[in-house]
Amino acid sequence: MKKLLDGYYAFLKIALTILMGVLIVPVTMQIFARYVDFIPRYIWTEELARFCFIWIILVGAMIALRNNEHFTVDLLPAPKTNRGKAISRMFVDLMAFIMAMIFVVWGWPLVKFGLLQTSEMAELPMVFIYMAWPLTGITWILFLAERLVDHIKLYRSDAA
Amino acid sequence: MSAWQVAAILFPLFMVLVVLRVPVAISLGLACIPVFLLEERLTPFLLMNEMFKSYNAFLLLAVPFFLLAANIMNAAGITDRLVQLSRSMVGHLPGGLGHVNVIVSMLFAGISGSSTADAAGIGSLLIPQMKKQGYSTSFSVAITACSSVMGVVIPPSILMVVWGGLMSVSIGGLFLAGVVPGILIAGSQMVAVYVFAKIYDYPMYPRSSLKEFLLALVHAVPPLMTPLIIVGGIVAGFFTPTEASVVAVLYSVVLGGVFYRTIGFHNIPSILFNSAKFAAMSLFCIGTASAFGWILAYFKIPLAVIEFLEPFGVGPTSTGLIVAGSFLLIGMFIDAIPAIIILGTVLWPLAEVSQMHPIHFAIIGVISLAFGLVTPPYGLCLLIACKIGNIEVKDALRDVAIVLMPMLVVLMIVILFPELILALPRLLMAKFI
Repeated sequence: MKKLLDGYYAFLKIALTILMGVLIVPVTMQIFARYVDFIPRYIWTEELARFCFIWIILVGAMIALRNNEHFTVDLLPAPKTNRGKAISRMFVDLMAFIMAMIFVVWGWPLVKFGLLQTSEMAELPMVFIYMAWPLTGITWILFLAERLVDHIKLYRSDAA
Repeated sequence: MSAWQVAAILFPLFMVLVVLRVPVAISLGLACIPVFLLEERLTPFLLMNEMFKSYNAFLLLAVPFFLLAANIMNAAGITDRLVQLSRSMVGHLPGGLGHVNVIVSMLFAGISGSSTADAAGIGSLLIPQMKKQGYSTSFSVAITACSSVMGVVIPPSILMVVWGGLMSVSIGGLFLAGVVPGILIAGSQMVAVYVFAKIYDYPMYPRSSLKEFLLALVHAVPPLMTPLIIVGGIVAGFFTPTEASVVAVLYSVVLGGVFYRTIGFHNIPSILFNSAKFAAMSLFCIGTASAFGWILAYFKIPLAVIEFLEPFGVGPTSTGLIVAGSFLLIGMFIDAIPAIIILGTVLWPLAEVSQMHPIHFAIIGVISLAFGLVTPPYGLCLLIACKIGNIEVKDALRDVAIVLMPMLVVLMIVILFPELILALPRLLMAKFI
C-alpha cells in the first residue's frame, strides 16, 4: 500500500512539473502572436492556460497535504507527550478529512454538471476541470489514511 | 441570518481552527460550511463554485510566473552579481554587509515580485557571510527578513497584481506608486543598520574605486533591466500584467541559460516543481478565502462595519489608520493574499466612503501586509531567514522589532501624505489615475 501511494505521489510530482512547464507555452504564444505575423492568434490560449492553472493549484494542494506543507500558524505551545502530539495531529487530520469529504460529496454535482457543459472557447468538456475537486478529496483521504496508522502508533507508544 | 450572526460564526470558528494548527486554507473553508448549511438559500456546493471562480482568473497566473522568474534568477546566480554591485555602492559604510543586504533586497525586489524568493536567495548567500564577519546571528536574520519585504512593495509585486485584479485598480498605477515607499523603506532600514553598527562596532569594507563600481554595474546591468522591461511594458501598454510575468520568466531563462550559462536542463525541473508547489499552496488558500469573502459580501458585513464606524467619523487619515491597523493585525496570522481577499472586501467600501484614493488605499494595505511577512506567529520571510541562520524565531524577535520601528514611520508618512505616492503614477499614467 505504501509503495502504491509512493508511486502515486511521484506521479503527482511529475504531473505538477509538466503542467508548470506547459503553462508557459500558451501565454508566450499569446504575446508573440500580437507582434509577430506568422504566429496564429488562437483565442483558446488563454483558456488552456487557465485550465492548466486550476490543475496546478489542486495537484499542488494534494502534494502539500502529504508533506504537511500547507501553511499553519504556530500559536499554541507544542504538546509535550507523544499522546498529546498524536491527539493534536489527529484533530488536524480529521478537519482535513472533513474538507476532503466536502470536496467529494458536493464536488460530485459539479462533475455531473460538467458532463453537460463545454468550455466557451476551446469547447473542452468542463468535466475535465471540475473533476479536480473530487479527485483532490479522494487523494487527501488516501494520504490521510496512510498517516492515521502513524498517529495511532505514536498514541500507543505512550500508553505504557 | 443577520450580518452579525454570520460574523459570530465565521470569525470565531476560523480562529479556533487556526489556533489548533489546522492549515489556514482548510480553516477558511471549514468556517464557511456551517453558514452554507444553516442558511436555507445556500449550500456547500458554493464553496467549490467560489474556488473555481477565483482560480479561473487569467490574472492570477502572474503569481506562479513571478515566483518562477525569481527562482530562476536565484538559481542563475544573479543575486551574486547584485551583491557585488551593492558592495561597491554601500560596503564602505559602518556595518557594510548590513547595508549591502538592504540594497540587494531593493534591487532584487525590482526583479522579483515575491518576498519569499528574496529572503531565501539573499539569506542563503549573505547570512553565512555576515556571521563570519562577526555580526550577531539575530541581527543578520532580522535584517535579511525585514529587507526582503521590499519584494512586495517595489514593483513588480504579486500582492499588487492580486489587489489590482480584485478591486479593479490599474496595476501599472500600483506598480509606479510602490516605487517611492520602497525606496523610503530601504532608507529607513539603512538607518537601523547604521545604528546597530555604531553600537556593536560592526566592520566595514574599504571604499571601492569608481572603476570597481562601474565594473560591478556592467555585470549587473542585464538583471537590472528586468524591472524596466516589466513595469515599462505594462505602463506603455505592450502587455498585460500576466503576460509581463511570462516575459520575466523568458528573460530570466535567457539570462541564466544563454547569457550566464548557469542554468540548464538538469536544474529546470526542480525549479519548475518548487515554484509550482509554492504558488499552489498560496493559491489554494485564495480559493477558500474567496468563499469566505463571498459570504462576508453576501451578508453585507462590510456595510455593517461602516455603520458601526461612521459615528466615530471617518476622514481619509483615520481610515488610513484603520486600514493599516487591520492589515497589520491580520498579517500576523494569515498569508497576505487571503488577507487581501477577506479584509479588502470588508474595508473597500469604507475607503470609498472616506474618499480615499484607491491607489493610496492599496499601497497602505500592501505595506501593512509586508510587515506581516516578518511578524510572528505567521511571518514567512522571518521563518525562512531563521531556518537559514539556524536560530529559533523568538531569538530574532528583538532585532526584528528594532528594524521595524523606522519602517513604521515610513508607513505613517505614506498614510499622511498620499501625494507622495500618487505623484509618480500621475506623472506617467495620468489617463488611468
